Amino acid sequence: MSWHGISTVARLELRQRARASKWVVVLAIWFAVIALVSVLSYLALNDPDARSGAAMYDVVIFFVLGLGMLVVPSLTATSINGDREHGVLATLQTTLLTSADLVLGKLLAAWAISGAFLVTALPFLAWAWVEGGVSVGRILLAVVVLLLVLAVVCALGLMFSTLTARPVASAVLTYLALGALVFGTVIGFGLSAFLVNKEETVRVYGIPNDFFDQNEPTYDANGNFVPGAERVPTKADCVEHDETRNVTHTERIWWMLPLNPFVVVADAAPSEPPANPDQGMGFTPMRWISEGSRAARVGETTELRQECWVDGPAGQQPVDPNAAAAKDAAVWPFGLVFLLLAGGGATAVAERRLRTPIRRLPNGTRIA
Amino acid sequence: MLTEGGPTSGGRGIEVAGVRRAFGDVLAVDDISLTARPGEVTALIGPNGSGKTTLLLMLASLLVPDRGTVRIDGHDPVTAPAEVRARIGWMPDGFGTWDALTVREVLETIAAAYRIPAPQARERAEALLHTVHLADLADRRARVLSRGQKQRLGLARALVNDPSVLLLDEPASGLDPRSRIELRDILRSLAAEGRTVLVSSHILTELQEVADRAVIVARGRSIETQQLDGEAVTTALASWRIDSLDPLRLTEFLTSRHVPAQQVHGGMVEVEVAGEENAARLLTDLIGAGVRVTAFTPTRGALESAYLAATEDRQ
Ligand SMILES: Nc1ncnc2c1ncn2[C@@H]1O[C@H](COP(=O)(O)OP(=O)(O)O)[C@@H](O)[C@H]1O
Ligand SMILES: [Mg+2]
Repeated sequence: MSWHGISTVARLELRQRARASKWVVVLAIWFAVIALVSVLSYLALNDPDARSGAAMYDVVIFFVLGLGMLVVPSLTATSINGDREHGVLATLQTTLLTSADLVLGKLLAAWAISGAFLVTALPFLAWAWVEGGVSVGRILLAVVVLLLVLAVVCALGLMFSTLTARPVASAVLTYLALGALVFGTVIGFGLSAFLVNKEETVRVYGIPNDFFDQNEPTYDANGNFVPGAERVPTKADCVEHDETRNVTHTERIWWMLPLNPFVVVADAAPSEPPANPDQGMGFTPMRWISEGSRAARVGETTELRQECWVDGPAGQQPVDPNAAAAKDAAVWPFGLVFLLLAGGGATAVAERRLRTPIRRLPNGTRIA
Repeated sequence: MLTEGGPTSGGRGIEVAGVRRAFGDVLAVDDISLTARPGEVTALIGPNGSGKTTLLLMLASLLVPDRGTVRIDGHDPVTAPAEVRARIGWMPDGFGTWDALTVREVLETIAAAYRIPAPQARERAEALLHTVHLADLADRRARVLSRGQKQRLGLARALVNDPSVLLLDEPASGLDPRSRIELRDILRSLAAEGRTVLVSSHILTELQEVADRAVIVARGRSIETQQLDGEAVTTALASWRIDSLDPLRLTEFLTSRHVPAQQVHGGMVEVEVAGEENAARLLTDLIGAGVRVTAFTPTRGALESAYLAATEDRQ
């Protein structure tokens, strides 16, 4: 393995791509689609009360990720078995290029191309920044995480293209694998939520249920409500007591969520919450996903629940300790590490499969 | 013309002993042994499906033999592929090429893959394009080349790293007669420079004039190795076709001399004679006996006879 070898392969790949496909047209269409989405989301979400930058940022980032996951597999998922079908792989394998040169060179080329797609989206992220509500640091972090996720997608495609003889099969397998990551994790999380859902006795500090039984509203003979007769609970009525409730232990299954590339990107760099909550929340799917998956990680508290939801002196509202904990319970590092390991593993598998001389040839393939 | 100083000395050529390779339950190569020496052109001849391509893949360090040993200039392609690759030039049977690259770029890319610095790579590509007469097509897309032109590009590609061992799989297929003659000259000059040249073909006559030695394979086995130099030709069994104005006397004469003869179409007779010396003597005797001979020609060479004999029993 050498940089010279890797760059030789990468240059060959890029040259092939640049000439074989209508490269400029594809990028132009991509640019136009992102532009359209940005403008539409600007028009739809441009609320003078909210800062529409955050919403645009979310839309553009997710759009780039989603479209990238559709486009990028086409760069690598047919790359090796396609070369074999064209009879050009073996020619390179008999030169001084190693299998690692071939795999990393192809990976690098595909990654550079996905980077180019990402770069076309940068003007719209800049626009989101101008609109306000999202910092440059967030945007940069999101771009870096996106780049890493796209590299993993490239690596998965490359691996499948070494595992099957037919390019169609490896393309399908790659999309299935990505589908499993994007939809499978969410479905898996949703379904297994039933498994971790139990009736449990929890300790609550609040108004006990029987308070309202003992303080029934009073009605007169005609059945009319008599105001003032019933007692409104006050802070003094809050007591510690046991209650039986449905508890979903998401802290046992949260790990499924960050396997999802969308969750990783969303949780890594959600737009900042507005400084003034009255400014309205706006359309911020990244932040919703981020908050949701962090809450899932923390799960429901086992400690005493502060639920004394009655009007007291200002500033005395009880704070859910878990909501505070969730702020620091980032899930994306787990997801990113998992994805990078998966990508690294895929690259290693691809490298192994390209080693020559070959001992076992997949059925129905000819080397040349 | 072809060299940048000739192949590194100490080449020991190709040594193959008892090699076998199966694909699942298809036994592609059963038992092949051969030696190809530096400075010689060795022909690998066998019918379709006899395992020539599979053997060359094993020599080219792409495929591991199930059994047997292969040595390329003394290196084992399985344990020392890098050493082997530096020394070989492999031209696959029916190869593809990168659609989008020009002919010149194909050669320069291969040169880069051999870690040849760019300036030298350009020179090398230019020289090879002249050698294979593709210079005027250098800036065309490789995709648009005709089959014969692609074959020539394939040969140039195999020569990029100045290899000491050449493995050419059916290089003549698709070539026009002129290109065939040029190929022959190229192969001869490559061998004259001390390289080992192994050429496969299922068409015998393609290689008869150029090869020093022929290895005949059939159904995955090497049947025999024929020396094709002058001595071999003068002693090997070959058939000759005789036409005469006195067919009756001709057959009588042959029967009396116990020469195995066979009637072929047009009243001609085919005889099997060992060596040119004996053939010449037979002709003299025929004329001495008053048989009016109008034609006395070799029908097939020694190699063809061996080839047909070896592959006679195929289903
Ligand atoms: N990858 C493969 N898988 C299965 N069978 C193969 C494979 N490669 C070659 N064969 C079979 O092995 C035999 C020899 O093939 P090959 O070496 O290509 O013959 P040749 O080059 O002499 O025509 C053929 O019967 C062919 O079908
Ligand atoms: Mg063949």
